[in-house]
Amino acid sequence: MSISDHSYKQFDAELESLRARVMQMGGMVQGQIMTAIDAFTSGNHDLMEKVIADDHRVNGLEVSIDEECTQIIVKRQPAANDLRLVMAVSKIVTDLERIGDEAAKIARIAKMILQRDHLNTPRIGYVREVGDISLGMLRGVLDAFARLDAVKAAVIIREDQAIDEKFRGIMRQLITYMLEDPRTITSAFDIVFIAKAIERIGDHAKNIAENVIYIVKGKDVRHIALDQVEHTAQSNGP
Amino acid sequence: MDLRKKRKFINKVALTLSMLAMAFGLFWLAWILFTTLQLGVTGLSLDLFTKMTPPPGADEPGGLLNAIVGSLIMITLATGLGTPIGILAGIYLAEYGQRTWLGQITRFINDILLSAPSIVIGLFVYAVYVAQVGNFSAVAGIFALALIVIPVVVSTSENMLRLVPDNMREAAFALGAPKRVVVMQVTLKASMAGVITGILLAVARIAGETAPLLFTALSNQFWSVDLNKPMANLPVTIFKFAMSPFKDWQEIAWAGVFLITMGVLGLNIAARVLFRAKHKL
Amino acid sequence: MNDTSQAMMMNEVAANLEAQMAFKSLDFYYGKFHALKNINLEIYKRHVTAFIGPSGCGKSTLLRTMNRMYDLYPEQRATGELLLDGVNMLDKKVDVNALRAKVGMVFQKPTPFPMSIYENIAFGVRLHERLSKSQMDERVEWALRKAAIWEETKNILNQSGMSLSGGQQQRLCIARGIAVKPEVLLLDEPTSALDPISTMRIEELIAELKAEFTIAIVTHNMQQAARISDYTAYMYLGEMIEFGVTDQIFIKPKKKQTEDYITGRFG
Repeated sequence: MSISDHSYKQFDAELESLRARVMQMGGMVQGQIMTAIDAFTSGNHDLMEKVIADDHRVNGLEVSIDEECTQIIVKRQPAANDLRLVMAVSKIVTDLERIGDEAAKIARIAKMILQRDHLNTPRIGYVREVGDISLGMLRGVLDAFARLDAVKAAVIIREDQAIDEKFRGIMRQLITYMLEDPRTITSAFDIVFIAKAIERIGDHAKNIAENVIYIVKGKDVRHIALDQVEHTAQSNGP
Repeated sequence: MDLRKKRKFINKVALTLSMLAMAFGLFWLAWILFTTLQLGVTGLSLDLFTKMTPPPGADEPGGLLNAIVGSLIMITLATGLGTPIGILAGIYLAEYGQRTWLGQITRFINDILLSAPSIVIGLFVYAVYVAQVGNFSAVAGIFALALIVIPVVVSTSENMLRLVPDNMREAAFALGAPKRVVVMQVTLKASMAGVITGILLAVARIAGETAPLLFTALSNQFWSVDLNKPMANLPVTIFKFAMSPFKDWQEIAWAGVFLITMGVLGLNIAARVLFRAKHKL
Repeated sequence: MNDTSQAMMMNEVAANLEAQMAFKSLDFYYGKFHALKNINLEIYKRHVTAFIGPSGCGKSTLLRTMNRMYDLYPEQRATGELLLDGVNMLDKKVDVNALRAKVGMVFQKPTPFPMSIYENIAFGVRLHERLSKSQMDERVEWALRKAAIWEETKNILNQSGMSLSGGQQQRLCIARGIAVKPEVLLLDEPTSALDPISTMRIEELIAELKAEFTIAIVTHNMQQAARISDYTAYMYLGEMIEFGVTDQIFIKPKKKQTEDYITGRFG
């Protein structure tokens, strides 16, 4: 799929800018998650506040990229691959914004845990681990978007299953804690929410990956069995 | 700044020159019209339309009745004879024979005929008809005038038909119309205003022709509507009367000139109005 | 494609798709210039098929083979087959005027004939049918209604067709085309000379007419092709590059050439 040599140079510039801004938003969201998880594991109150405060910047980008999509549609009436790109970007930014929300949620819960009871919080190594996987997925899917790589996007979709697996692992671990020491129940629930938030990030990354496959292959792979998705991603043709 | 001044100056010079050229042309035209009007009006009276051409030195005033009627008869019949032939030939050239050799030759000959001096046509009809039959006649005059009408009508019809966009022809063909229907009901209709304009211009042209009639219809001092005899007509009568030493004849000649000028002017204006009205979409 | 949409497609094929016209290895020449190269294509009954492609790609030429318009010009010729309801129309034995009664055409520029609105419609009908005065009145009204121009013209039927506005003239031409009751209507860039409102009305008209007629349209306006057609053919340099369901062509064309053209990456 060619990216440039449009007859309208201005249209090229607009599409290029759209892609660049999605990447910018993706980078910003990545940073939010990283900081949120760091803040949670280290108990750094300032970092938590920063994540919460910065969420509006992610929201602002979503609104302005969506606006750009609308502008391109009304001015250029894009077709085929251009149309797919613009439609997909409009959906991708929604997912990115939700990921940003999840980061803010993690920071807020971490703040509550910090304020409530330091001592009765179970230390869960798994959270960090799952966080890293979901961050890796996000990084990977942004890379797949930048390079319009459907095969890579399909790999990300498969990785989402691993996150779900890890999430269940955390749940089992927490239940053990709660059985052993009922005083941890309140905090344990908070951690469930954090883990759930991280697990949701994986879901959003998967959605983005599906959109990347749509851009490249023109096929809507939502609600389709994984092996079929992979087959589509590896097929030849547009 | 310099350039702009220079440009303005050149513009003014060109404008002045073209205005002068226009004024030069209009000056003579106005003079002709004025003289015609001035000299013609004096001879204008009811007698002109009711009395015959007077004999030399007549006591009572004469008129131009026989000449007017003779001209009308000959112009009408010549147009009636030349127009259908001209239109049909024009249709052939525009619709059928555009690129055929026969079409090319016809067009070439027609162009020669169009620019042939009218006296040549008069002499031609004299040689092939008058000299054979042995006397001047209105019929010969009609032939000569028709020969002048035909090339004008051929050329205007062809050009007018070619102005009809091919789109319109194709649209008619696309409905399943055969060629004759397309030509007769669509393209000819579309160019009708132009064709009629051409006919009016042809009429205007033959209305004032003297030379071809001099050798064919000659003229007639008396009332005659017999096509096989010489027939009175305005141009030749004017020619004869204007050359005469008699004052009353000269007056009548000027009145005749006035009539023809007004008639031709009227036809020209009518042609223009008609053409413009039809071509304003 | 999932199972349900596939099943729907199959259903449509079974229920509605019947070829009205079919090109079989059609080649076309302007003198020595090879303008159409081995065209194989079916035009489906009561559907709109759009032809898109850059200028000079042969789409108008293809349309003009469908009513043998090229017959008017001695240096143009077509080889191969063009089937209309299974009969080869390129056969010299086929009466071209009878073919044109079945295949109507509307041109880029509105071309009303220099006669009254009524006569514009009646002209074509008279060529093929003998109708009484009242039958003709009915037919004229029917055609004008079908072309959505009856209300504007019913009181001025005796006025010249040239007195109408450009958009009205074009609808008059469509009415004139359908008055003959053809099976196929060919539209050669019918809205390229019209303003947006008139264009919209013609597009709406096309959507209504496809219930009764098979329509083939050439357009330079790709959005128009996307809006009004069921099938789209992309042509380039006299070749049929891609033919398919319009939605598929405009969202996910199979050929890169097609995609480059419809996204404006051409040339």
